Amino acid sequence: MNEDEISNGKNIHNEDNVRNEEITHNENIIETEVALGTVHPAALEPYRLRLFVEDEIVKDAEITIGVNHRGVERIMEGLPVEKANALTEKICGICSNAHIWNSCLTAEKALGIDIPERANYIRIIMEELERLHSHFLYLGHGCEVLAHETFSMRAFSIRETVMELLRMIGGNRVQYGASIIGGVRPRCELDSNRIIKILEGMDIVEKKLNDFADRFVSDPIVMNRITGVGKISSKDALKLEVTGPTLRATGVKKDLRFKMKEYEPFDFNMITLSDGDVKDNILMRVLEIPEAISIIRQAVKNLPNGPIVDRSWEMIDSPTVHNYIEVPRGTLYHSYALEDGRVRGSVIRTPSMSNIGAMQLACIGNHLTDAQLCIVQCDPCFTCTDRAIEIIKL
Amino acid sequence: MITILSFKSILAILATLIIAFIISIFIPGIERKYIHGRIQQRIGPPLFSPGLMAPIKFFFKENLKPNSPLPKLYKSLPVISFIVIFLILLFIIPQFYIYGSLASVIAIVGLLKVEEIAYVLMGSLSKSVMSTGMSFPDKIKGAKHLNVKSSFIEDISSSRALRLIIFGSFPLYLALFVPVSTVGSVYLSDILSYQISHGPILFSVSGIIGAIVFFIGYMILLNEYPFAILKTKADVIEGPYMEYSSKYRAINYINRGFLIFVLGSLFSLMFLGYPSNIFSWKFIINVLVALIFPVLMAILSAFSPIFTNKQFYPVILVSSIFGVLAILLGLLI
Amino acid sequence: MSLKSLARSKAIHLMLVYTGGCNGCDIEIVNCVLSPKFDAEQYGVFLTWNPREADVLVVTGPVTKLNEEPLKKIYEAIPNPKLVIAAGSCALMGGVYKNIHGDIPSEEIAGPVENIIPVDAKVPGCAVRPQDILAGVVAALPNLLNAD
Repeated sequence: MNEDEISNGKNIHNEDNVRNEEITHNENIIETEVALGTVHPAALEPYRLRLFVEDEIVKDAEITIGVNHRGVERIMEGLPVEKANALTEKICGICSNAHIWNSCLTAEKALGIDIPERANYIRIIMEELERLHSHFLYLGHGCEVLAHETFSMRAFSIRETVMELLRMIGGNRVQYGASIIGGVRPRCELDSNRIIKILEGMDIVEKKLNDFADRFVSDPIVMNRITGVGKISSKDALKLEVTGPTLRATGVKKDLRFKMKEYEPFDFNMITLSDGDVKDNILMRVLEIPEAISIIRQAVKNLPNGPIVDRSWEMIDSPTVHNYIEVPRGTLYHSYALEDGRVRGSVIRTPSMSNIGAMQLACIGNHLTDAQLCIVQCDPCFTCTDRAIEIIKL
Repeated sequence: MITILSFKSILAILATLIIAFIISIFIPGIERKYIHGRIQQRIGPPLFSPGLMAPIKFFFKENLKPNSPLPKLYKSLPVISFIVIFLILLFIIPQFYIYGSLASVIAIVGLLKVEEIAYVLMGSLSKSVMSTGMSFPDKIKGAKHLNVKSSFIEDISSSRALRLIIFGSFPLYLALFVPVSTVGSVYLSDILSYQISHGPILFSVSGIIGAIVFFIGYMILLNEYPFAILKTKADVIEGPYMEYSSKYRAINYINRGFLIFVLGSLFSLMFLGYPSNIFSWKFIINVLVALIFPVLMAILSAFSPIFTNKQFYPVILVSSIFGVLAILLGLLI
Repeated sequence: MSLKSLARSKAIHLMLVYTGGCNGCDIEIVNCVLSPKFDAEQYGVFLTWNPREADVLVVTGPVTKLNEEPLKKIYEAIPNPKLVIAAGSCALMGGVYKNIHGDIPSEEIAGPVENIIPVDAKVPGCAVRPQDILAGVVAALPNLLNAD
């Protein structure tokens, strides 16, 4: 909160000091600066990217966010907790379910609510469907930045199947608002008809994904193009606190889903790859999709009977509680206190926040055309990120 | 000494130009609808939209002053490049061969160079709003490297175009000299008469290699993906063409289709011996070649990502070596 | 239909400016062009990222203070005749960020889009559906076709 007010919505900055020592003595060789954004085809989201190039090789990069700053944490202050949950969903249009889920989990932790088991299963199904659409979006957008329109079209066409399922369950293609405090919305109840559709959808997605992955991996031009671009070593990744698939692509075994009690009934594998370049990042998403499909199938198969929402809770005051979950892009953190049914002192930390350092690092040493690719490989979501800030050392 | 063309020749030249123009209008639509659309499993745009309707639409738009240090020169460049393409087409029409020195490979290479220089000038003269020009408080206390000079994305594009002049166009020019080495003359009339008596150059070893090299050079000159480093979306958006609006943009649209046709026609003349002569049935083959080339190019571009220097240099190097090999073969055999 | 209107109706270049919403509308609109399911190109709508080429400017998001100037500049860079379509509830009225009525109002939002540039059509929805954005472009099209 305080940090937010200091920045006053402007001059928001991120600076990773990891490479700074190496960069400073190279200052004299930087030839020119290219600024991309805030509107740019490869970025989609508004942010400013300053690339310092020498002979078309990126020597240093600086991402400036702040264009998306809407002050969500600030306007959350004093809202009734149900309304605040609905607001958190509007933080991001890609991982909207993750935000509302985590916000509900935080509230449930503060109020001491145990949700029905069936509700938890439905939440998991929604989250994993979201993971599918987020990963397909990543593949589609990554291929678009590679200027491979055909693969991009394929990925987006597979994604449509998932979007239709989400629309069927939640009633909307993007903001479906499945979770409420105490369970899930009655709209999101899964009857036998919907279950059949989900299973059919998963079969289609799996089949199409296999075709896509076969073609992608066996395409020599694409593989040659993306191998070794935007490398992040596991040491750098840990130092920069990278999270999510980007971290796992560098070979670090860290997935919060294995520690979350919501995921306890499910059996799935952790995928890790070793190189941390664009190729591994793309393969990482491709390999995570079957795991998500398997979780959805398990959840649908073992879906317990019973109510989907528990409304027998009472509002109490609570000190600050926090909760971490694993979302498609990494670790998401929500925390707030409850006072008189209202949200106080909300802090949200999104995965892209900690990945910005990796994005800047990955650009360095690559060709200018690859710079946007190196940023896209870390799966940026600056709409999520533009709320928390880092204090910069002046 | 100036030779005057006969009335029939002038008629033939005009008819050829008009037909070339009509066909070049179709080419972008064919690429987009039938090749890209089919490969990407979608319907694709209407056939006339990209090639015909878009230029007509741009003709009726307001002409804004481009954001450029020399607006007049910048605006004249598409016109210059149109004239250049027009002249190339003129020189490869058989009725024009009486002007010997102009109807030669050297003249065509020189004109294509003008086309490439136009890209450099366009890039360096365009200062679009989309990059450094966009107001954003990024040079503030705490930002990195505050004293570095900033350039527009088109400047990057311009320096890339300059590099392409130096090495990128090698394959095309080497391929153009394959028939020259086989025939032993730079004049198009000699190349044509040699092929009429000996059969097409394409059906020899050097001819096949030369054709492949020509195709790669053709794609590089047309800046089509994967060789579209001049105007890739990932960094320079549209590169040299960023600031054109209204009729100048329309001319740019027309130029591309026209250049595709002219280069296809040039290939048909140099490697098959079928010139763009309206009075002969062989003109159909000429047109077919001009249509097959963009189709092949669209297929290749649909299946490949953008190449950076790392992939670009080896492709040019290998195709240049093959080009030299083809020329040597042509000289020896 | 004159040649001018015919040409304008057959080739529409659409540019998207995204001014700081939640990304949802943005992806849905790019989707509407990029996915084979909706494929806006079959109606002659092409996605472009160059304001000099664009006819239709689609604005999403509530227009944050930092994005006010870029939006104006891009609007000015588009040659006439042009259309502006505000898509999504944020672009229409500042969305949930401006109208949530918490203890502290949001100070970052300069929008809605109407306050900054003139708007021809408004497409509601949170997030807008791809069908709706196509319908919005079609609804505003007469303004473009009948302009000088």
